[in-house]
Amino acid sequence: MKKKIQITLNGKKTDLEVPSHRLLLDLLRDEIGLTGTKEGCGTGDCGACTVLLNGKAVNSCLIFSGELDGADIVTIEGLKIGPELHPVQRAFVQEGGVQCGYCTSGMLMMSKALLDENPDPSEEDIRFAISGNLCRCTGYAKIVKAVQDASRELRARRT
Amino acid sequence: MEDLTVVGKPVTRIDADEKVTGEAVYGYDLVLPNMVYGKVLFSPKAHAKIKRIDTEKASRYPGVVAVVTGKDAPWIHGESIRDKPFLAQDKVRYIGEPVAAVAAVDEDTAEAAVRLIEVDYEDLPAYTSAEEAARPDAVAIHENFAKYRKMDFIVPGAGPNVCEHFKLRTGDVDQGFRDADIVLEERYTVPIIQHAAMEPHSAHAQVDPVSGRVTIWVANDAPFRALHEISEALNMPKERIRFINPLQGGGFGSKGGLKVEPIAVALAYHTNGRPVRVKFNREESFISTLTRHGAIVHVKSGVKINGSITARAMTIYWNGGAYAEKSPTVCIRGSVPAPGPYRIPNVKVDGYAVYTNLPVAGSFRGYGIPQGAWAVEQHTDELARRLGMDPLAFRLQNVFVDGDVAYWGEELHSVGLKETLEKAAAAIEWGKKVDALPGSRVKGLKIGKGLACIQKPTRSPTTSSAGVIVNARGEASVLAGTVEIGQGCNTILSQIAAEELKLPMDKVRTAPLDTDVIPYDASTTSSRSTYHMGNAVKGAAIDAREKIAELAAPMLEGKKEDLAFADGKIFLKRHPEMALAIGDVIRRKLGPEGTVRGDASYTYQIAKDLDLETGHSDHASAFYMYATQAAIVAVDEETGRARLLRMSAAHDVGKAINPLNCAAQIEGGLAMGIGSALHEHLVIDDNGKVRNPSFLDYHLVTALDLPEMIPIIVECAEPEGPYGAKGLGEPGLAPTPAAIGNAVADAIGTRVYDLPLSPERIFWVMQQKKKDKAA
Repeated sequence: MKKKIQITLNGKKTDLEVPSHRLLLDLLRDEIGLTGTKEGCGTGDCGACTVLLNGKAVNSCLIFSGELDGADIVTIEGLKIGPELHPVQRAFVQEGGVQCGYCTSGMLMMSKALLDENPDPSEEDIRFAISGNLCRCTGYAKIVKAVQDASRELRARRT
Repeated sequence: MEDLTVVGKPVTRIDADEKVTGEAVYGYDLVLPNMVYGKVLFSPKAHAKIKRIDTEKASRYPGVVAVVTGKDAPWIHGESIRDKPFLAQDKVRYIGEPVAAVAAVDEDTAEAAVRLIEVDYEDLPAYTSAEEAARPDAVAIHENFAKYRKMDFIVPGAGPNVCEHFKLRTGDVDQGFRDADIVLEERYTVPIIQHAAMEPHSAHAQVDPVSGRVTIWVANDAPFRALHEISEALNMPKERIRFINPLQGGGFGSKGGLKVEPIAVALAYHTNGRPVRVKFNREESFISTLTRHGAIVHVKSGVKINGSITARAMTIYWNGGAYAEKSPTVCIRGSVPAPGPYRIPNVKVDGYAVYTNLPVAGSFRGYGIPQGAWAVEQHTDELARRLGMDPLAFRLQNVFVDGDVAYWGEELHSVGLKETLEKAAAAIEWGKKVDALPGSRVKGLKIGKGLACIQKPTRSPTTSSAGVIVNARGEASVLAGTVEIGQGCNTILSQIAAEELKLPMDKVRTAPLDTDVIPYDASTTSSRSTYHMGNAVKGAAIDAREKIAELAAPMLEGKKEDLAFADGKIFLKRHPEMALAIGDVIRRKLGPEGTVRGDASYTYQIAKDLDLETGHSDHASAFYMYATQAAIVAVDEETGRARLLRMSAAHDVGKAINPLNCAAQIEGGLAMGIGSALHEHLVIDDNGKVRNPSFLDYHLVTALDLPEMIPIIVECAEPEGPYGAKGLGEPGLAPTPAAIGNAVADAIGTRVYDLPLSPERIFWVMQQKKKDKAA
């Protein structure tokens, strides 16, 4: 059954007609063409498909499109601030937090959600926040360091 | 040697920006015009005859474009042994084997149609244990094995399922055991695990309706080898096949060879020229792509009271699964150095790669070294314990040093092993008493330390070719067949080109990989790229530089040999102030769209091939990588849970082209090694069915599971390597489980012989020890 919904996607009002059961992940990737959000498992176990839904990090493979009318969604494609990389993106580049890059989108969206909620997280807070985001390449050390750097940068910007 | 400007510097990755913005397009993301969607029917039987396949209903289902079975794709492929059909023919040999496939206008339709295919099977006896399948009286899993085409170094074993029996024979082990003061015999096991790259497997294929040319888009780590394998299977000239590599979301060995490609090709022959996309979901990637060999390792050693090793004999069973894939070479290259990096005069190894009715095993980061190290490095600690020696001192007394002739007959050079041992041990304060460690006073926690070391060869001999194109804007493009699988090769190779052309890093990029235009590379495997492709790119950049110098000499009114390069400019050494930008040199001579191209090829030559009777070779590997890792572990006496407190990892990389990237590789390898030590285990029941094909049940390490990790770079230069570099990709996980196993044994006072070191397993080993004590 198709349903008409309006969402705010990366800051832009978007009208869609989608099958209610279509997963948000598939909606983004297959129908809208935003492939920055990755599919690692499709069962909510790996976090590669993490996006922000009304400001909270969610696995987009577990969300039905039919529930999304009025929702505000931010994907990796909406993380940049204007033409500039978001500080968390920049920190991932600088610290070497990226290898194959397949978990990176989800990892960044989860980190952004964490830093929005807790601007000064401890190392343990960061590790806990990203513990549902699997990475097979990095061993997480440089990712944790990148989130720490980004948190410092964001706090410095605020003051 | 002149000062290096880019090589040796912690340059950030050149592909990071496109990855942090989501712009990077991976194989799984790729959409082709007018494509159709493939879905696969997998075998539910471990070993069975196919009595009947009925595709009638599926073919009639609205939206279906093609349905194929083994009859429609009568092709057999295989890297070492040609044994694997594109789709099952007449029988199935494991649960998860592709039996039939559907292409349809969308994925839902394809999935619905697959369910309409009917297959009748007649069960056959199935093997899950390599030791049982290896018996001479076992039932053959491949009835026509004798007729299969095989690589010429393959020596089948006595039983019908032993696809390779590797023998290493040095000295006289029986005499060595007689000469020993202590003889110790043990058995260790390693379970089947999986690569679990974050990007699942997929492939796209198209058969051009006019030319018949086959194009395959796939994130394959060895596109030239895959092209060769397809060409042999289809009996089609190589120039009629093209591989295009989209970005790869990790592989770790699972994305070489042919996985989804044969299914996509089989379908593409029946879609009237429309491209086909076949994506495996996570479960399908778990059951139907590749695993790491489970291994049973018997090891027996003799030592003298003075700490010297007199003999070592090993028997290793490699559980290869249903098709040979890379089993013969994993068996050979994993068995040769399995006795460890030690001076041992008498050595005997028998390695058996065995067919079973399990998912196919093949290359996995480390290529057989982790399995041997799990056994031998713990065995080494047990020998030290019996000798009353410190495990570090025992190793330092016996490890290879420069000039030693290894037990496979090769004289070794550039051996940085001792330095890795010393540095890894120092980083966990090896000499310091365990009581003084944090956590050690907590009641019920037992603290232990352990270390393990390895030596890893690389695939040899192999070739890498490269091109470097410099344009009139002073930008260079590197044409290399090395696949960016996350390891950072595009950055490393760009650094090398930038160094030789004296260009800034932001003027150098790597070209996308397309076998129609990119020069040959053997494979992105075996930690071979920095050394082999690094040498090729270096040569190609030098070739381009020489050509630019030839153009510039008359412009600068000097001789070519008096010219120098710096900061993107060329000048006469005596007049550095009169410099020309290299882009300007090209523009003046060749016009604004002119280019200069340099090319080079690098092949490591071996003097003598592996001797099939003795396993000896005087140059078995282009170079060797050495590593030591050390662990501090706390074991909970009540639950058996082993928690890592700290791990160090010292790796001899020859020369770190990029220290930031080296640290990243070491940390990532270490994390994977820790996962394989503590959690990972593909649970397979007696019927051959994988019981945990999901990330919910197959536990990859998370950010919460890891201790403080200390990566240490050791640089013992390899003279043939670019700037002295060796390799690094694989060793990161090879000694890890044994280092942790040794720490656990140190903590609980008894040894665990099987992986993973789960709380349950450690708990029962501790219980057994208590019982033994009481009795």
